[in-house]
Amino acid sequence: MLKKFLNTIFFTEIGQGLKLTLRHMFMKKVTSQYPREKLVLADGYRGFIAHRRYENGVERCVGCDLCEAICPAKAIRVVSDIHPEIPDRRYAREYTLDFTRCIFCGFCVVACPVNALSMTKEFAHSSFTRNGLIYSKEQMLALGDRAGADSDAYLKVRNMWEAENSGKDEGYYHFPPISLGG
Amino acid sequence: MVKLTVNGKEVEVSAGTTILHAAAAAGIPIPTFCYNPRMDPAGSCRICAVELEDSKRTVMGCITQVVEGMKVLTESPKVHEARKTNLELLLLHHPLDCPICDCGGECPLQNMSFSYGGADSRFESHRNDELEDMKSEVLVFNSNRCILCGKCVRVCDEIQDVHAIGFINRGFDTVIGPPLGKKLDCEFCGDCLEVCPTGAITDRFVRYQFRPWQMEKTETTCTSCGSGCRMIVDTESEAIVRISAREGLGPNEGSICVVGRFGYNAVQNKSRLESPHFKRAQRLVPGNWEEILPKVAAQLASISSSGEGRVAGLISSQLPIEDAFLFQRLMRQTLKSNFIDSDARQGLMNMAIPLVSATGSLRPLVDHEDIIAADMIVVLGADPAAESNITGLAIKKAVRKNKAALYLIHGHDVSISTRAREVIRLLPGSEESFLTMLREALSSGTTSLSPEGRQRFQGLGASPEAVDRLLSDLRASKRTVFITGRRFHRSDQGFGASMQLIRLMAERNMFASEGSGLFVLPESGNDLGVLMMGATAEWLPGLLDAANAEQRSVWETHWQTKLPSGGGGLREILAGIEAGEIRALVSFGVDPLTFLPDAAQIRKTLSKLELLVVVDMYQGPLADMAHYLLPAASPFERTGHVVSAEGFVQPLAPAMAPWGLALSESEIMLRLARHMGRALPFDDLASLSSEVFRIFPDLRPSTRNAPYFQGGTGEILLSVPRTQPPHKAQRESVLARVASFVKADLPATVSPASVSSSERPENSFVLTLSKSINHAGTRTLLDSNLMAIEGEGFLKVPRSWARKRKLKKGACVLVSTHHGRISLPIDPVAGLADGEVHYPLHFADARFMVLFPRHLSFNAQSGTQSGQAIDVTIEPIA
Repeated sequence: MLKKFLNTIFFTEIGQGLKLTLRHMFMKKVTSQYPREKLVLADGYRGFIAHRRYENGVERCVGCDLCEAICPAKAIRVVSDIHPEIPDRRYAREYTLDFTRCIFCGFCVVACPVNALSMTKEFAHSSFTRNGLIYSKEQMLALGDRAGADSDAYLKVRNMWEAENSGKDEGYYHFPPISLGG
Repeated sequence: MVKLTVNGKEVEVSAGTTILHAAAAAGIPIPTFCYNPRMDPAGSCRICAVELEDSKRTVMGCITQVVEGMKVLTESPKVHEARKTNLELLLLHHPLDCPICDCGGECPLQNMSFSYGGADSRFESHRNDELEDMKSEVLVFNSNRCILCGKCVRVCDEIQDVHAIGFINRGFDTVIGPPLGKKLDCEFCGDCLEVCPTGAITDRFVRYQFRPWQMEKTETTCTSCGSGCRMIVDTESEAIVRISAREGLGPNEGSICVVGRFGYNAVQNKSRLESPHFKRAQRLVPGNWEEILPKVAAQLASISSSGEGRVAGLISSQLPIEDAFLFQRLMRQTLKSNFIDSDARQGLMNMAIPLVSATGSLRPLVDHEDIIAADMIVVLGADPAAESNITGLAIKKAVRKNKAALYLIHGHDVSISTRAREVIRLLPGSEESFLTMLREALSSGTTSLSPEGRQRFQGLGASPEAVDRLLSDLRASKRTVFITGRRFHRSDQGFGASMQLIRLMAERNMFASEGSGLFVLPESGNDLGVLMMGATAEWLPGLLDAANAEQRSVWETHWQTKLPSGGGGLREILAGIEAGEIRALVSFGVDPLTFLPDAAQIRKTLSKLELLVVVDMYQGPLADMAHYLLPAASPFERTGHVVSAEGFVQPLAPAMAPWGLALSESEIMLRLARHMGRALPFDDLASLSSEVFRIFPDLRPSTRNAPYFQGGTGEILLSVPRTQPPHKAQRESVLARVASFVKADLPATVSPASVSSSERPENSFVLTLSKSINHAGTRTLLDSNLMAIEGEGFLKVPRSWARKRKLKKGACVLVSTHHGRISLPIDPVAGLADGEVHYPLHFADARFMVLFPRHLSFNAQSGTQSGQAIDVTIEPIA
């Protein structure tokens, strides 16, 4: 009874609350001034998805549609065809990724047999229209060219690097050489 | 009967059954790669391994026959181990290029690898890196992916009987392909593509353009010929990507010909009509339905109200029975005219009139199963493989499996000639004389031909020895099937020849004996159905005689109306337009300007019309003259039912959205009737279908077989439903009518042609038109795939003639008649009748038609256009 009375007149709860506040005054700051200060993102960060190329500049994508098949948000559309320059190679004639639908789950990167897809650390893409967030293959290749190191790091940290040279006769999948027609 | 247990379940099957079938009977599936119920088992893939419980051995289910008391385990650790090891060995060489393989996603090997533990192998893998064989425009052979199950080789040998591909080399170097590393040259049926369990054979036309899981599948019926093949149309975003069959599905049991499998691009050709057009200042201008149909209806109503028979109508025989039924009702009841015709007349009427008067039915007494079981098959004026591919397969199977005696009576060698016991080459126009003489020789009772008879047959160009064999086989045969086709039906003597043939069959009592009968090959998907629905002037629905007032009254009471009498077919329609009596013509997909000679004269006649309405998919010569041109939906965009040559009534299903504003013909007719204020009592095509099936209960949908396989790894279906539908004609009712038909006097027989082949001048030939296996009609010329396979017409000339003049394939010759001349490339072939040359009808365009006489001639009894074989002189161009 007396204890309750003393608590009431001396506002001890406030003191207890302020103790936490005062303690935080002497701790290290965690808030970062985002646009001015950039955070260091982890290598496994799932940002915007990019298309990758081989070292010789040839795009990796073989248009196999597996990313489209696995995409849970149905954000990817692939139209495959015969490569116009390299005879009888399969490639994606059209590739669109709708980032308004994408849930950044990373399944497409896992599904890709030739490591043509990877996630980058870019996340700050915005647009005033929905169309602005529907990326074509060219845009995604440009993204990959821009953030090549990030995309490599993503694959490495997610244990998908061993399929790296699959287009060159190693790795899990094996693509025989391309015929020259008859 | 043998008793055995499968997985502890007791089954009783007949002796000689394989374990695979016994297990299927018990409801237990066993996976297979190389097994196919239509072919002899090979036992080459070793995936159907099962364990025998008592002997602890694994045996192959597809080739091991059951024995009494056998205890079979289809799933056991040992079986699992055997299959897994087997898969490991198969995947030793198989490249894991599934992501870029067109088979990936529907690959039994892929599915099996998944269910038996992925692609990890205990062995050091050795991938083959052979280049793909891209010599053919149609198929790509990839020997790396091949597991050498041999299914493609067997389907080509046993089902298609074409022998175009085989095993090359031995051991590890074995590859599948056309012999001697040449370019693939075959019938391009694509059955090898269909049966291949891996991506070793892929389709080059849509290479890399699809993934199986993206496509929507629609089961529909092909309308290109009378076979009535059931097929699966794969579409992606409303565009047809490919067409495939299902093993066992439909009368075709999983085979389709080149036209069915690859001929899907014509309906998605850019030249298809998208919107209704009307004529303004001599030009066709696009409009819309709401604006155009009331105008058409108003004009039709005013013309038809001026009297009976002022409007004429034509309907294509590729349209379903519902459309044909509605068409004749619209013409007869609403527009009060019996001037109606179908293009089925050209191909079938010479046979249909005698057949209906003799048997009362257009449905055959025999089907493909009877053909396969027959001990004698006589093919008259037909190329079954080209005209009705599945009938051709049935004939090949009958000869191969049951050693049926095949006789081919035709002008030139066709693909089944090599299997024939005798090929009797007749010049066009001697069919009636031949059959008359044959009938007389048969009824004379003597065992061999008299010297005089031999001479008469020789006069027709037929070898008397061959005729002798034919006669003795005919006398001995128990199950005889006669097959007639295009050349027979379209011959100038087609009508008389059909009468003689039916009489011959009746005299030999073939209508009474089970398994014997006449099998007529129609030219397009629904010839029989269109005639049965009364879309020609001769017949009312149900093949009632339109000229007979008593039979007419059946429908008059049913429809509560007065039906017009008189009328006629194409001949009468053209005469009526010329005379100014017929003032309007409505054509549903028939273009007489493409198949009748002297288009200029017909154009002049048609220009007298006050109203010409053309409903078609494409713009053609007739469409250019139309006052109103309305876009029609293709068979891939609509519903309906078509009647196959076997008499099956099978549905069409919409696989793609209508092209532009196109509507189905029946929808156009219903709307027209509504705009005229004389609406017919049908809301849509579904109510029309149910009305047709209510009136004709024996025309309810029927088909044979269902898919043999289930799942993705080739497990055979638990029980194959073999339906017994009402597709054949009733033998009892046919017999009753045939008896009275035989008693009636036949028209006087024609004396045999006196022209002997030896009298023919050196460069003079008879030119006929033949059907190519790679095309159906002229529509398929719009198909890029089929044009890649056969893009040009070659005049087939005798090889000896060409060799003498040192002419090779592709050399041009000058073909001339009294009426005109044209230069054509030649293809020297063997096996032509003496003095005959032929040209594929699909390429017979206006340029070609100058060879024909300027006046039209029609067969007096059937109204079929005659004079389709002409005398020509052929000279090499210097």
